Amino acid sequence: MTAVLRVGAKPEPFRGAGVLLDGTSPVPRPVSLAIDEDGPALILSRPDASDERWPLAALRQLRDQADREEMVLRTAEDDDARLVVREAESRRILAARAPALHRRPPVTGTRRLILWGAAAILSVAAIIWYLVPLMADQLAEYLPPEGERVLGERTLEQIRGALDETGFGLLRLCDDPAGDRALAALTARLTDEAALPYDVTARVLDLDMVNALALPGGIVVLFRGLIEAAETPEEVAAVLAHELGHVAARDPTRMALRTAGSVGVLGLLLGDFAGGTVVLFLTERLIRAEYSRAAEAGADAYAHGLLAEAGLRPSALADMFDRLRAEQAGDGAEPPGFLRHFASHPALGDRIAAARTADAALSGPSRAALAAEDWRALRSICQ
Amino acid sequence: MEEVLDTEFRGRRGRLFWMALRFSILNVLTLGLYRFWMKTRLRRYYWSSVRPGGLPLEYTGRPLEKLLGFLIAVTFLAFYIGLVNLVLMFLSLSLLNHDYGAYAISFVGVIPFIFYAAYRRRRYMMARTRWRGLRFGLAPGAWGYAWRAIGHWLLTILTAGLLWPRMTFWLEKYRTDRTHYGNLRLEQTGRWTMLFPAIVPLILGLLFCAAVIVVSIWQEERQVMTGLVLGLPWLVYGLAHYRTVTFRRLTEAKTAGAIGFRAAPRPWRVFRIYMLGTTLIVLAVLAFFSLLGLVLAAFFAGNLDELGVIAELPERLRGLPTWAKAVLALVVYFNAFVFWDVLTHVFLTFPLWRHFAETLQVTGAPALAAVRQRPRDAAQEAEGFAEALDVGAAI
Ligand SMILES: [Zn+2]
Repeated sequence: MTAVLRVGAKPEPFRGAGVLLDGTSPVPRPVSLAIDEDGPALILSRPDASDERWPLAALRQLRDQADREEMVLRTAEDDDARLVVREAESRRILAARAPALHRRPPVTGTRRLILWGAAAILSVAAIIWYLVPLMADQLAEYLPPEGERVLGERTLEQIRGALDETGFGLLRLCDDPAGDRALAALTARLTDEAALPYDVTARVLDLDMVNALALPGGIVVLFRGLIEAAETPEEVAAVLAHELGHVAARDPTRMALRTAGSVGVLGLLLGDFAGGTVVLFLTERLIRAEYSRAAEAGADAYAHGLLAEAGLRPSALADMFDRLRAEQAGDGAEPPGFLRHFASHPALGDRIAAARTADAALSGPSRAALAAEDWRALRSICQ
Repeated sequence: MEEVLDTEFRGRRGRLFWMALRFSILNVLTLGLYRFWMKTRLRRYYWSSVRPGGLPLEYTGRPLEKLLGFLIAVTFLAFYIGLVNLVLMFLSLSLLNHDYGAYAISFVGVIPFIFYAAYRRRRYMMARTRWRGLRFGLAPGAWGYAWRAIGHWLLTILTAGLLWPRMTFWLEKYRTDRTHYGNLRLEQTGRWTMLFPAIVPLILGLLFCAAVIVVSIWQEERQVMTGLVLGLPWLVYGLAHYRTVTFRRLTEAKTAGAIGFRAAPRPWRVFRIYMLGTTLIVLAVLAFFSLLGLVLAAFFAGNLDELGVIAELPERLRGLPTWAKAVLALVVYFNAFVFWDVLTHVFLTFPLWRHFAETLQVTGAPALAAVRQRPRDAAQEAEGFAEALDVGAAI
């Protein structure tokens, strides 16, 4: 101890006790504690060894300890030795005198963290956007039709589950017998001429959304909102033909295989947080890219051919687009999902024009897609 | 030093509850990133509440090293899981015409990694655990562990569970024989057959349940099924009994030089924790959802007098705009998640830790004086693989 006499506020003399664990042996050493104002430092003295000096500024207290009647201290430099203080008075004084008791240890290895962060992002990106799509496209070519069918049915179930409003059941599939017959007749009329590897099944989902989907294995789903928005059966036929174009090109199968590949990787990233389902679903929707422009153009071309062969006007689709676009511009509302999907491809105008030109391929006069009573049945399929 | 060291337990359920609640909410708000901090801080608490010989265990793991380990694991596993899932899905669809097969096989595909990850996790936790200033450690050997674990599991499945005690013993021996406290090596002595009595109640419970089901189907008497009211708790007891008794026998057969252990956890106590804990968790979750229902009813009705509005709640909810439904679904979902997490800590993990800690003793303690510190184990991958694959216990 220094023998200098201090003038003014003199720090209270401190005599305390603790237990030192020196970090080399597990034997606890009782030590007496004092503060050397020259430094200032905590002096740990024991009879059988020389004193140790722990600068007050370097004292750190372990966080989140269960026993609040006890203070476990270490120094900022040395990670191994520990000082356990139980006396209330010693704890009070140390808490008051040590200036950085709760300072966090410095962050080390930031560079390595950044490097591995970049590696992880690159790896995941390469998998999801490059390797998985590449392999999915290859594998889709070799998948037998029965396998595709199973995949399609499962996907339909997932979509029905996700779109169900209560969140627990499956969204209803409309099954009015007369409406079903009308839809089947329309589908058959289009597919009679097409050489598809599987039977096509068209279903209507009871949802107020202007949209249509093709699923693997020849399953085409129309939403009730789309049938209500169509003014003529020819418009429904045109949408159906477009989706059949995707079916013929196996676009949905590729998409479903891509999803299967990326779901596991995303599950990996999100960990046990929130069980993953909702976040997984949302994220999955985000990365599920729309079909490429080439795929859409291919489906259009295929649809034009199919419609012309069945004696239907390809431009019916253009009529519907135009009307929806006008309605949307009129009431300033958000564009319906369907149109937004199509509009996301910048060539919507081109596609409308192409549909109109394709009418030229129609030999002879166009025929009605459905008889008036069948069209009524189709429109009330969800009742 | 005394001959026998008792273990004290100093944790408090209330403080743990507030910690777990705060951390879980932060975890949701940070989209799961806080989980590395959450795990670190909760482990500090759990570890420090266990005090063999009156001095606390210390957990020295750091959050950022967990994040680093996770990033390393993701970098490698993304390739494996992305490609393996895709190929398995393809094979399952084209060969079995079924995709359930794919989920089953893709699980099989990660099994070696799961055991590997479990061992790495243990190695990391050991390297970050100290008692009386000295580090624990687990020697490398994760792949050896993975292959052994797979072999033992196959044997266990092929023998309808009869060889489960054998697996428990040999895997514990593999881990224990590689465990060090300072420079002192632990050893698992004993034979696997000493664990066999532990599984008897579980086997009897299974036979009882099977008999109930068979009889009720055979006789077409539905009432016989009520026998399951007895049978299912019996199974839970069987599991509690197995876990407790194997822990006791294995711990008492561990040695480290002249140092030994005594453990006296009680199967009925563990059974009570299981049953009471799950009941309380379920009740709390139900209470939460009833409260949510009331709040929504009040919101729609303006006041709670018109309680009839609860009946039409589904109708009213259906009428909400899509964004409001999405927000509501997320709120409910995350709340359920937070609740589950916090209540599991408070009603299951905490009482189990307390019971197993309080009934543990260290014998031959004077021999500790000769032990010295061991070098640090960087364990750079931390528990990243376990984190990514979601392997591991409650903490
Ligand atoms: Zn399309």
